[in-house]
Amino acid sequence: MKLRKLIAVLLCATLVLGFGAMSASAYEVTEINVNIWDNNQLAGLQTIADKWSETSGVKVNINVIDWDNYWTLLAAGAQGGTMPDVFWMHSNTASMYMEEGLLLNLDEYIAADESMDLSRYYEGITTLYSMDGSQYAIPKDHDTIALLYNEAIFNEYGVDVPTDDWNWGDVAAATKAITEASGGKVYGYAMNTSNNQDGWYNLIEGYGGKVITEDHKGTTIGSDEGKAGMEMMRQILEYGVPQTSLSESGTDQQFISGTAAMISQGSWMINAFYTADNAADFKWVMLPYCDANGNGQEDPGERVSAYNGLGWAAAYNVADPQACYDLISYFCSEEGQKMQAELGVTMAGMPGISDAFASAFEGMDVSAFTKIEETGTLFFRPYTQNTPVWEDAIQQQGAFLDAWLDPTNPEAMATACDNAQAIIENAIAQEW
Amino acid sequence: MEKVKKKKKSAALRSEARWAWFFVAPTMIGLIILNFYPIISTIVQSFYRTKGLTGQTFAGFQNYVTAFQDSTTWQALLNTIKYAIIEVPFSVVIALILAVFLNRKMIGRSVYRTIFFLPMVCAPAAVAMVWKWLYNQNFGLINNLFGSNVAWVNDPNITWISIGIIGVWSVLGYNIVLFISGLQEIPGDYYEAAQIDGAGGIRQFFNITVPLLSPTTFFIVQTRIIGALTVFDLMFMVLDKTSQALQKTQSMVYIFYQYAFTNNNKGMGATIVVILLVFILLVTFILQRLEKKVVFYN
Repeated sequence: MKLRKLIAVLLCATLVLGFGAMSASAYEVTEINVNIWDNNQLAGLQTIADKWSETSGVKVNINVIDWDNYWTLLAAGAQGGTMPDVFWMHSNTASMYMEEGLLLNLDEYIAADESMDLSRYYEGITTLYSMDGSQYAIPKDHDTIALLYNEAIFNEYGVDVPTDDWNWGDVAAATKAITEASGGKVYGYAMNTSNNQDGWYNLIEGYGGKVITEDHKGTTIGSDEGKAGMEMMRQILEYGVPQTSLSESGTDQQFISGTAAMISQGSWMINAFYTADNAADFKWVMLPYCDANGNGQEDPGERVSAYNGLGWAAAYNVADPQACYDLISYFCSEEGQKMQAELGVTMAGMPGISDAFASAFEGMDVSAFTKIEETGTLFFRPYTQNTPVWEDAIQQQGAFLDAWLDPTNPEAMATACDNAQAIIENAIAQEW
Repeated sequence: MEKVKKKKKSAALRSEARWAWFFVAPTMIGLIILNFYPIISTIVQSFYRTKGLTGQTFAGFQNYVTAFQDSTTWQALLNTIKYAIIEVPFSVVIALILAVFLNRKMIGRSVYRTIFFLPMVCAPAAVAMVWKWLYNQNFGLINNLFGSNVAWVNDPNITWISIGIIGVWSVLGYNIVLFISGLQEIPGDYYEAAQIDGAGGIRQFFNITVPLLSPTTFFIVQTRIIGALTVFDLMFMVLDKTSQALQKTQSMVYIFYQYAFTNNNKGMGATIVVILLVFILLVTFILQRLEKKVVFYN
């Protein structure tokens, strides 16, 4: 008898609880799984997601998977039908995922959402995540590049520190001065062939070349403009950290350990330098301009920075598309974007509200990243349908690695540009 | 009469056969699902041109033509063979010598055995990372210890040896365990008799230990060759994508990974793996032929 009563009570309790849970949420799911690849952003994004959970009643689990495995897992999940609900998209692979129909078409949800206005976001990012007039991801953030230097090294060797008025020629001169003054103990600059978006792409574009042309079907890396940019790069490399050393310890390591006085880096990496031991010596200035016409002053279009933006996307087969869209919509809303900037996660995906980001790092001036948006020209990170094929190949032997290993030889750099041109054209021809 | 007998026997046999099937079924099902099916679908995949993530079109032998015309494939095959040439002989010879010492009665024997076996229980990726730092040209322990300035994992001429050394170090423990168990199978009488006849330690080693251990040695050599030909993790972990030594060191499985997972070209990836499979089959076939000549079965 007692047992029966107990069961009855328990059953009633479950019913009540069940109804309670249902009434708190308008959604069919109680949890959403989110995959990202950057551990630096986890804490901030979880804070924003938790705020959304308060009103929606849906729990958000964010998982971090490192960059390489992220794509392996996502591709495997796509083939097996077990993708995470909501995840980041990147320019390298976006068009492939869209063409395969693996991303949820957001059109009807965007149309029904009054707060969503796609024209408010950076146009390049919005276009990147759309195909045939349909939107498959909403811009999460954007990033730009700036020059980072170690003030202590400049002071030690009596070299003037970089300013916002520098051009790449000044960088080359300072690199030479520091490397020679230290007797090769400290190098003025560090750049590897893998520093493309945050490095030499900016020189090619600044001198008028195109890593990938507007239609994403060609390149002018081997043109005179492209070669002029890479020749400038070569003059820096001549006195920079030797490539043999860079392939064992990357540019960031070389900079933080005090072996290199300057590097260029993207806004997504700020936290790594902000939390370093000697962060007080680290200063950011705008990326130098490319004095392409050689008149010694900055002309319009000569100061460029690559920019890129991630997108929030959902899988095509999620259980509750509305819940996933609402989460994405909150992440990308002005409120979510402001929080993202204030928490120092990343700069916003819409212009005009990233000022909070510049002040998120107390004691470190990171305004260089936002300043270049106003005074410089931004170009979108070059991509084609299957970017990794050529992006990896042009960093390796048979392309720019040859020139990096032989930095005193202008011929080697020109040949590398020609080879890269051929590699990219060939890779695009293999696309579908 | 005979007919009845036959029938009776076959009934018993049939029941026995049913049970036999029942007992081998789990293994067979596992093999079919996890090994045979993937092998066949990989071979099928190698005849297709990959489009995007999931699409594919039949391409006949196009992938094979591309692979054979690409010098990268041949270089990778050569790199893989070079790695095996370092790993297999050295890991076998060193392990054999160490096993003979570790098989004797000595103080701290189990401590030594544990130490030599430890690399086997470490994650291969962790092993590779530790060695990567030891090898580092500027900050590495090896260069600092010897005051040298060798680019251990960056000079195309020596990187394959450096990588091979990591391979030898990490499989040593496994080989030693197998050798010790083989050594314990050899009856002590042989050594006693040899001692009475006046044979010294080295003579005993070459005339008793080596021939009587040959089945174990052969087993180790054969499994290690297959293991070495499928090496991937060491190159992947130790070498940066921008290392100048990469092309002269990357193995077949490394370029398979590059094709299949980085470039999303599953068809080419499958082709590389099939080429490697055929090569391993060939090597195994030759080894099986050799077995009768070099292995001494007691």
